[in-house]
Amino acid sequence: MRIPDEQLALFQTRLEAIGLGRRDFLKVVGAMAAFGGLGFATEARAAKPTKPGPGEKLAKDQTFRFGGGGWYQNDPASHDFNKDLYCSGVPALWAGLMVFTADFVAEPWMASKVQSNKDGSVWTFTIRKDSRWSDNSPVSARDFEWSFKRQLDPATAAPYASFLYDIKNGEAFNKKQVTDRDQVGVKAKDDWTLEVTLEGPRGYFPVLAAYLAALPAHRGAVEKHGDKWTEAANIVTNGPFTLEAWEHNKQIVLKKNPHYYGAKGVHLNRVVIPIIPVASGSLPYENNELDMTALQAGDLKKLQSDPRSSKDVFRYPFPGTWYLLPQVTKPPFDNLKVRRAVAHAIDRENVVKVSQGLAIPAWSMIPPGFPGAVDDPKIKAIQKYDKKAALDMLKGTPFEGGKNWPRIALSMRDEGLGSKPLAEAVQAVLLDSLNMKTELEVLEPRVFRERLWKQDLQFVWIRWFMDYPDPHNEYFDTFYGKKTTGKRQAWVNDAFDRELEAGRDTRDPKKRLEHYKKAEEIMQSDVGYVPVAWVVRYAAKKPWVGGLEKNKAGEFVVDGNIYVDMLQHLYVIEKG
Amino acid sequence: MVGGVTVILLCLLAIFAEAIAPYSYTKPNFGRLYEFPSRDFPLGTDQLGRDVLSRMIYGARVSMLVGLGAQVIVVLIGVPIGAISGYIGGRTDLLLTRFVDVMYAFPRLLFVILVMSMLGAGLMNIFIALGLTGWVGIARQTRAQVLSLKEKEFVEGARALGAGFWRVMTRHVLPGALTPIVVSITFGIPEAIFTEAALSFIGVGINPPTPSWGQMVGENQQFLRSYWHLCVFPSIAIAVTMLSFTFFGDGVRDALDPKMQ
Repeated sequence: MRIPDEQLALFQTRLEAIGLGRRDFLKVVGAMAAFGGLGFATEARAAKPTKPGPGEKLAKDQTFRFGGGGWYQNDPASHDFNKDLYCSGVPALWAGLMVFTADFVAEPWMASKVQSNKDGSVWTFTIRKDSRWSDNSPVSARDFEWSFKRQLDPATAAPYASFLYDIKNGEAFNKKQVTDRDQVGVKAKDDWTLEVTLEGPRGYFPVLAAYLAALPAHRGAVEKHGDKWTEAANIVTNGPFTLEAWEHNKQIVLKKNPHYYGAKGVHLNRVVIPIIPVASGSLPYENNELDMTALQAGDLKKLQSDPRSSKDVFRYPFPGTWYLLPQVTKPPFDNLKVRRAVAHAIDRENVVKVSQGLAIPAWSMIPPGFPGAVDDPKIKAIQKYDKKAALDMLKGTPFEGGKNWPRIALSMRDEGLGSKPLAEAVQAVLLDSLNMKTELEVLEPRVFRERLWKQDLQFVWIRWFMDYPDPHNEYFDTFYGKKTTGKRQAWVNDAFDRELEAGRDTRDPKKRLEHYKKAEEIMQSDVGYVPVAWVVRYAAKKPWVGGLEKNKAGEFVVDGNIYVDMLQHLYVIEKG
Repeated sequence: MVGGVTVILLCLLAIFAEAIAPYSYTKPNFGRLYEFPSRDFPLGTDQLGRDVLSRMIYGARVSMLVGLGAQVIVVLIGVPIGAISGYIGGRTDLLLTRFVDVMYAFPRLLFVILVMSMLGAGLMNIFIALGLTGWVGIARQTRAQVLSLKEKEFVEGARALGAGFWRVMTRHVLPGALTPIVVSITFGIPEAIFTEAALSFIGVGINPPTPSWGQMVGENQQFLRSYWHLCVFPSIAIAVTMLSFTFFGDGVRDALDPKMQ
């Protein structure tokens, strides 16, 4: 029996989406063959407690304090990820069916076994029997059935319910076309068996089940307390931690959940997360009020240059790209020569200097080290900084010699640190190279997005943070010309779109990447965008913080929007 | 006296910024970012390696322009409304006074922010926003003056001689009301400067790369601990300017209006 090609292709795209390479793909396909092509099963995730390294003794007080520098800068709206995955609460309160490893691979978590039918349209999760809610009631398949249905229920008004539209009748139920919730394709066959019937073959469903949006909620607490159910007094959690206190706008305190199946392996007894505005910088960290913190520009340099703290600083992956969007429908950027001049005019080496180490020069969308990154001299040459080439481009245009520029507004979103200095540096180099005067317009985020999506802005300073490590995200989700919603640029190019479609529909990873490379080249030659800088992020942790996980590249990984499994691995070392 | 001298100095700085500033206010120097005050850069350099002193000198121009420009609009709106309201009286007065009261009830800074977010950032729009919101005080002052002056014998005399509204107003009433108006203007200038600084601080005032003191403070407050010079010097400039205009205003009032002593 063979799995149909289009299924395998879809499956592979999704696997790549979470960072699996070709070899892992073949491994999984091999596993499928071993199961007679009927589906696949993975081992349940054993509770693997992190062990202190040699010479490290666990401290008596296992309290860990972290935050600041952009982490938990605002009081969370709630901890209800089941209703709103962007509630900015603490994910460690919950445990989903699956979980991402530091390399963004999905593994079973509250499920002990995952199986599907022949074509991948029905998935069966066997729920582990040894984990309990913090009120000592069992975490059963019924909890997940109820949670998924709650997210899809129009009465819940979950803003990202479309995340679960793969589930049979999920969309119809959410849009009130089906009112009977029993018709939604999630069903607990018994306490320990969750059967999910999908709209069609969806090989990647277990991966979706690992995202924040698939975390469960506690039925009893929700029904009793309504919107207030994630307050410390009301909440019932099933993750490694539970909520001890939540003093709004001040701090969140977690304590170990003794009923979590892996509780024995969780070292931290308490986690304190103060709500700290970015403007406080690293002061709380330096004053030993925090054990770990994110770092912003000024503080990064300060800590790095201080011999006492320089060893605390570490870089963590946070893939993202800063770029310029010249709007091809608005003068002067309707002129290809002007756009090419802009691409050549950006002195990237110098521009990134203002970020104080939080950006590196970029020549394409995908940063080095991620699938689809290009290191081709041909592509690098397209936007290479060259003042003379930039001015030469203007020959024969009305702007020859850097004259006659119309009023140009460079627009950006009002957001965190580091964005504005970079934008000002871009302004400065454009003025220097092309005598192009620009006015920097900082727009309120909502206004910015609205005007951006109307393609109403003339010249935009913007970034894209990678959602999942696959070129599909960096090109298709961003620049695909036939996108109907959330399209940032008026620029459209048929040849480019064809490469993206080919990249999406091709199964061979090598050939896929060739398509994306071609797409990058087309986009840069036609200057649909101008790459400027890649984002780099730093954090600092005290020497007594142990257990931080590393990815395959050997970099420390901290909680983000994919990996959220940091806290249960940490421990505090006895201070020598 | 001290206030007056500082005000004159500031005006000179603003007018002759090009000649006085040692460096350009736009040109970056990527080799020398975030430098502390030194012989080369007396007040240090900012995030793009631009000279802070030069940017502050150009910033003075923005401040002075805003201070004076806004007052021009304030006078153009406030004085006629106050004068008409006071002179004509009756129903017109009632309507205009109530309108002034309504305008007066708006919190000024919030109203300015509202206007700015509708118009967008920029120097011209700051004039308009400040002018639209700042005329209320001067309108009330003018009305009060006109009310008392229009009953005076010399005004009645002028009217008896057949002088029209326009002539009575410009030749007889307004000159008498001039002193309090001038005093009110001098006190309005620092208020406008401060409002601009506040607007630029929160990012709805002047667009970069044009420098403004408030914007310099706002952009760099996050670096206060690492690079203190970026915030401290523009803050001092704002404080000194405010103080000297206030002293200057005091002086003008004392000189023009000995009765108020």
